[in-house]
Amino acid sequence: MGGYGDVKLLREDGLRLDGRKVDEMREVEIEAGILPAADGSAWVKHGLNVAVCAVYGPMEAHPRKIQRQDRAVIDVRYNMAPFSTSDRIRPGFNRRSREISKVTAEALESVVLVERYPRSKIRVEIEILAAEAGTRCVGITAAAVALADAGIPMRDLIVGVASGKIEDTVVLDLDKAEDNYGQADLPMGILPTTGEIAFLQMDGDLSVEEYNTCMDYNLKAAREIHVLMVDALKRRYAEKNGGEA
Amino acid sequence: MVELVPSLLRQELAALAANDERIDGRGRWDSRDIKLETDCLYNAEGSAKVTWGDTIIYAGVKFEMRTPWPDRPSQGSLMCGAELRPVAGRKYEPGPPSPQSIELGRVVDRGIRESGCIDMDSLCIIPGEKVLGVMIDIHVLSDKGNIFDACALGAIAALRTATVPAERFDIGEDYPLAVSMTPTMCSFTRVGGRYVLDANEEEELGGDERIHITLGDEGHLHSLQKGLKGTFTPAEFDEILGVAQQRCAELANLVNSKEA
Repeated sequence: MGGYGDVKLLREDGLRLDGRKVDEMREVEIEAGILPAADGSAWVKHGLNVAVCAVYGPMEAHPRKIQRQDRAVIDVRYNMAPFSTSDRIRPGFNRRSREISKVTAEALESVVLVERYPRSKIRVEIEILAAEAGTRCVGITAAAVALADAGIPMRDLIVGVASGKIEDTVVLDLDKAEDNYGQADLPMGILPTTGEIAFLQMDGDLSVEEYNTCMDYNLKAAREIHVLMVDALKRRYAEKNGGEA
Repeated sequence: MVELVPSLLRQELAALAANDERIDGRGRWDSRDIKLETDCLYNAEGSAKVTWGDTIIYAGVKFEMRTPWPDRPSQGSLMCGAELRPVAGRKYEPGPPSPQSIELGRVVDRGIRESGCIDMDSLCIIPGEKVLGVMIDIHVLSDKGNIFDACALGAIAALRTATVPAERFDIGEDYPLAVSMTPTMCSFTRVGGRYVLDANEEEELGGDERIHITLGDEGHLHSLQKGLKGTFTPAEFDEILGVAQQRCAELANLVNSKEA
């Protein structure tokens, strides 16, 4: 995490700089099936973050050495567009995006019924078009909706959410300033139906008690976002069938 | 894609062409519907989303402060790049920039650069020390044919609505980037033996060479490119140039209608 204590992140009235309460999420909008070229796709706007995800497959896994005899492999690419951040980023993979891609793939493998598709590959392409803290979580949410839109069987959706700590106070869903100057960040991928966790990262400093509060906030946010995900998928299917949701 | 599919597709496209028809029912010089949105991304200083039929692209403009090239101490710079990432379609694979994406970026870049719509001298902050670099990045999200025209449209629309983040660079208040012209591109693909405007994915797969024409104000030519295997006659070029004159003016009007 960035600096400590020198930047005010909480107002006198206890609200955050953007007026949110400590346990209040940024606004989330979700659309499914927005990319005609893809087998499944999703668009997620979370605060000012914009993530788009395309899913291709299941298809033949190649190169052959990546094939698994008993299951499909999930090939995730998380990528930030050059214009997604305040300073332009050079196109192409870097260590950060490689790591996020890897742990995201492992999280998705835990919900997709990969054993249904031996020797095949499912491509998940996450593109971050605008970044304002929390892009890996927005990417996970988009990936789950896109996989469902592609008709790939999953045992649950997976929701990306994060909580953290600013000025010794636990808050839900850090924005850019809170991420830069806060004390801790705890992003998670949560299975909304069972409450299991498939994705976990953390950095900063949290007491056990603070961790528990973060966890409560994350579960609450996951339930809220889950409703929006299901709603987006229902709208998509109504559209496909030419009827109302 | 297996060779068989394009060869069957070629036969079908040729049969349609004999009756002056197209596979999706359009006329020879008809374009698909275009939707242009600007100022749609946080963090980009200028942005555009183009939905061109089922093809979707985003373009974003960023600025950077840099030292000028020694031989041009009072000139800023312009760079336009396109990425054909695996998100754009089944046929795209990860890896270093492909020759296709390099061609795409460079053809769009030339159209904008050569039109002179950006005055490089106006990007100079302190001669010999500080100049602005304008970077246009194009992200193709869904390739369903004719990404060239969609990318060129998105790039100029993002540029025309861009704001120079002067405050961030400590050089005064933010101001709109001065762009003096609206160059737009029109692409033609040989399908079933004759040229058509705005080929879709199937027409590209079962078609031959393509020609990209970028026109600026008053229909002046600023960039031409022929891609893929094939030849054309001067008479054929005259015909498509006539179509391009009309079409590019319409596209420029669309972009200009988006300005703040």
